Amino acid sequence: MSTTPKFAALIAALVLGVAAGAADAKDKVKVGFIGPLTGGVSVNGLGGRNSADLAVRLRNADPKSKYEYEMVVLDDECKPNVAVQVATKMAADKDIIAGATHYCSVTAIATVDTYHKFGFPVIVWGAVLPDITYRNKYDEVHRVNGTMINQNDANAELVSKLGYKTVAVIHDTTDYGKGHNEYFSKALAKIGQAKIVGTFGVTADQQDFTAELTKIKALNPDVIYFGGLTPIGVRIRSQMDKLGIKAAFDGTSGIVSDAYIQGLGPLAEGTLAFREGAPTEKLPGGKFFMEKYSAQKYDNPPEAYGPFAYAAMDMILDTIEKVGPDRKKVIADLANVKDRDSIVGKITFDDHGQNTVPVITKYVVQDGKFVEWDDSEYASGKRKLPGQK
Amino acid sequence: MDAGLLAQYVMNGLMLGMMYALVAVGFTLFFGVLDVIKFSHGDVLTVGAFAALASYVGLRMLGLNSNWLELVVMLVVAILAMAFLGMAIARYLVMPLRSAPALNTLLITLMLGTVLRESVRLFYPQGANPKPFPALLPRASIDLGEFNLRLDNVLMLTAGVLVIVGIQYLLNRTKLGLAIRAVAQDEETARTMGINFTAIVLVTFALGSGLAAFAGVMNGLYYNEINFGIGLYLGVVGFSAAIIGGLGSIYGAILGGFLFAGLQTIGTVMLPFASAYKDVFAFAVVIAIMAWRPTGLIREKISERV
Amino acid sequence: MAGKGHTTVWPGIAGLVIATGYLIAMLGAEKQNLIIILLAAGIVAVLAAAWLGLLEAVSASFVEHEDALAVCAIGAACAVGVVFHENHFVLLLMITVLLYSVATLGLNVQFGYAGVLNFAGASFFGIGAYTSAVLNAYTAVPHLLVLLVGGLLAAFVGSLLLLPVLRTRGHYAAVVTIAFALLFKTFLEVNDVLGGPQGLQVKGMRILGWSFNDNIEVGKISLSFYMNYFVLSLLLLVGAFVLVRRLERSWIGLNLDALRLDETAAGCFGLDIVRWKITAFLIGNFLIGIAGALFGMVGGFVAPNNYTFADSLILVSILLLGGIGNPWGLMVATIIVVVLPEKLQTIQEYRFLLYALMVIAVLLFRPEGLLPRPVRRYFPGWRP
Repeated sequence: MSTTPKFAALIAALVLGVAAGAADAKDKVKVGFIGPLTGGVSVNGLGGRNSADLAVRLRNADPKSKYEYEMVVLDDECKPNVAVQVATKMAADKDIIAGATHYCSVTAIATVDTYHKFGFPVIVWGAVLPDITYRNKYDEVHRVNGTMINQNDANAELVSKLGYKTVAVIHDTTDYGKGHNEYFSKALAKIGQAKIVGTFGVTADQQDFTAELTKIKALNPDVIYFGGLTPIGVRIRSQMDKLGIKAAFDGTSGIVSDAYIQGLGPLAEGTLAFREGAPTEKLPGGKFFMEKYSAQKYDNPPEAYGPFAYAAMDMILDTIEKVGPDRKKVIADLANVKDRDSIVGKITFDDHGQNTVPVITKYVVQDGKFVEWDDSEYASGKRKLPGQK
Repeated sequence: MDAGLLAQYVMNGLMLGMMYALVAVGFTLFFGVLDVIKFSHGDVLTVGAFAALASYVGLRMLGLNSNWLELVVMLVVAILAMAFLGMAIARYLVMPLRSAPALNTLLITLMLGTVLRESVRLFYPQGANPKPFPALLPRASIDLGEFNLRLDNVLMLTAGVLVIVGIQYLLNRTKLGLAIRAVAQDEETARTMGINFTAIVLVTFALGSGLAAFAGVMNGLYYNEINFGIGLYLGVVGFSAAIIGGLGSIYGAILGGFLFAGLQTIGTVMLPFASAYKDVFAFAVVIAIMAWRPTGLIREKISERV
Repeated sequence: MAGKGHTTVWPGIAGLVIATGYLIAMLGAEKQNLIIILLAAGIVAVLAAAWLGLLEAVSASFVEHEDALAVCAIGAACAVGVVFHENHFVLLLMITVLLYSVATLGLNVQFGYAGVLNFAGASFFGIGAYTSAVLNAYTAVPHLLVLLVGGLLAAFVGSLLLLPVLRTRGHYAAVVTIAFALLFKTFLEVNDVLGGPQGLQVKGMRILGWSFNDNIEVGKISLSFYMNYFVLSLLLLVGAFVLVRRLERSWIGLNLDALRLDETAAGCFGLDIVRWKITAFLIGNFLIGIAGALFGMVGGFVAPNNYTFADSLILVSILLLGGIGNPWGLMVATIIVVVLPEKLQTIQEYRFLLYALMVIAVLLFRPEGLLPRPVRRYFPGWRP
């Protein structure tokens, strides 16, 4: 079986890693990372893990650092139940001081109570549901990336600006998809130009959407708005084509990943998507991050939220360097984050631990890449989205 | 409802039904010869689809560019590879467990399914991502009102029908088919008649697994996207289809497959509040059918040994 | 199995002590290489013991002196609890083991004794858990009573399946419960009232003002709040175990065995097949539901994804791994199935693969499970 050599290598690596660690004189401090390492969105999880790992490695390589850091990685599988389990495991381990946690909103919203119960400081690195920071006022929970409210405002604005009149909504029925549906509908209604002609909830692991799409076809909308993650986004877009639906496809931050374009090939062209924060290459530390990341030769790219995972982990390490490996002190220090420099720009936590990310990047897929809308040939009028006025 | 729309629903249902039926036929074949449920069947389908995709990528690197040639090579590679995999599974996992309770076979093949699925995810390059599957069939389409009739769908349906007819012919009109049916009916008598039992079992598993590979390629061509999880759902649905049709009957499996797809489609059209309930509806009907016809729609001819 | 010679209680005790020590070492091990060494050592030790015939002696001793050893086993569980009294996560893991054991005992009554297949174990577990989520949030029903309601509700929903389950056999019966498992999960997902795919928070248990979710301080010693649940789960398991054992040894158990082994013959001898199948199915689901209700409160969270067909299969695989019909085997298997993937967390994406390969290996080389059910003893000390 081809697994054997990999296992042997893995075990050898572990043994070596421990041996190397033992030789060092600095105090060891554990930090945590949680993300989806298996399942449909695992690329994003792996990208986030690598990015957080990068932060730890760079710190350990820095002779000025006071501690030797070890990152404990757990897999939430993008499932709320598993997330609660692993969050309990991480938070219950007193040796782990703080964690960068969750890409999926479903898992992040399910675990906030757990972190609060155990007094475990976390910085969310990818989940966008507002409720994660705003439903409760937990001192333990922070977030470096923005929420989905702003991106849906920007989304509705662009859709209206392009002169579209009718929108059909497909969203997954998790809190994540429902949240997108809610905020997008509100934003669209506020502008009052386009109206929603139908809303369809689908499960996050559905394979066949021809039935829903046939119904949508009968409604003949200008745009199909999709609130969900990459795997079903790819399926819906390709099945739209099968049924000859010509509407524009308008997604959310959940599909901003290389996997979306890989999964669709030429069909991805003209897909709209929105994300908080500037694109990696335009971030203040974007170049630095990309250089260091590629130097480590990870198997996967960092994906859209890698820089946030790096920033979250880096902030945790900074804080521990400053106040020492003590959860309570870390929480106290994170309460006063203001204009803190990071590779994703200045970070400021409000009273709910939410970083205010003013920038929303509008993306459109052009020639197999997520291109910023304003730089694209679609915006300049050289190309046209389906039905664009 | 608009006639075009209705035709679109029927087409969707037929395509789904064809895939379910192909999977269900595999279950029925295995059950026929060995009285076992091979639950890794759905994941064999996944591996078949990925084998086809890998050979496509290989051909592309060689610089071949003919759609038809590529399709033929992909099908041959996938079907042969899965046939061998099927034989290996039968030889090393299923047959050694013949004396153990039937549930053990079910569990071991289920675990094998997990191994296959996880292997695709971990060892196929970027296997965790959904993969684009090339659209190799001609993409011409005619718009008939609300109905978008596509040539590739018609071709796939035709191919599916041909394969099923072929299997039927093989089972009923050839010597090999006779041997398979003999083994299915009574292993010991078949042995005494000079039929090589092991060989027939292996051939049957090869046949069924080849069918799964075919269904996998078809699934890829239809959705233009494959991922490591496609087989799990198709496997369960195919199994249910084989059962409601009546295990051991190839007609039953086909009937079951199309029935299940029909139920799902009807569920979507008829349930006004939420199409999401379509699976709840379909499975509830499955349970009701089992209560009504405990051995499936086409009854298995069994005589209880007392 | 039971040899001619008289077996003392000592091999059983020795086995129990070694197993408990090993379990404690495994649970306490943090370093990945240590875990792997322990795992390898464990496998080698079991293989060696099997080769030397020591396992036979242990299981014979368990057959002979079950009651004494059962008390020792409770002691062993308590020992594990005492060692890890402060460690939240290990206690949670042990609670999972205890409650899964209760659930598989339920499955054992259904399949091991009556021969009724149930591939929807996780669904009935889920019914219990959702019951406690809803009742704890919206009503003032005393929480111990909630457990009972959870069990009853699971049995009630199960009774909706009675007609198809009774009419079908073998693989056909399997598909009824499989369809139910899939239906149940999809239903929870699309149904907004019960939280949809996002799931619901469950309030912790509170009995007469004693909140189970607070840490316990006794003098200078602080105990994890999970200790509350640990004790309750252990009590539940002991209760379920006694019930199942009594059932097995009674004439009901005898009837169930008869109808599993040969339904037609049992019918000819005047056994009311329908009645006993219903009894077994309902009792089984009742046990599963109670365990689920408590587990919901322990985890504090329920979601449809906890109760998928795959989770039902895990329950069935515990049954097969342990040896169908043997409650002791079930508990050993539960420990393996629950603890192992958890301990292997650090090999991350490879752990499902490894787990599946191990189950395949066990099925190939020990098809009757780790501890097969011994021959029925009609009265203590009796040997066939």
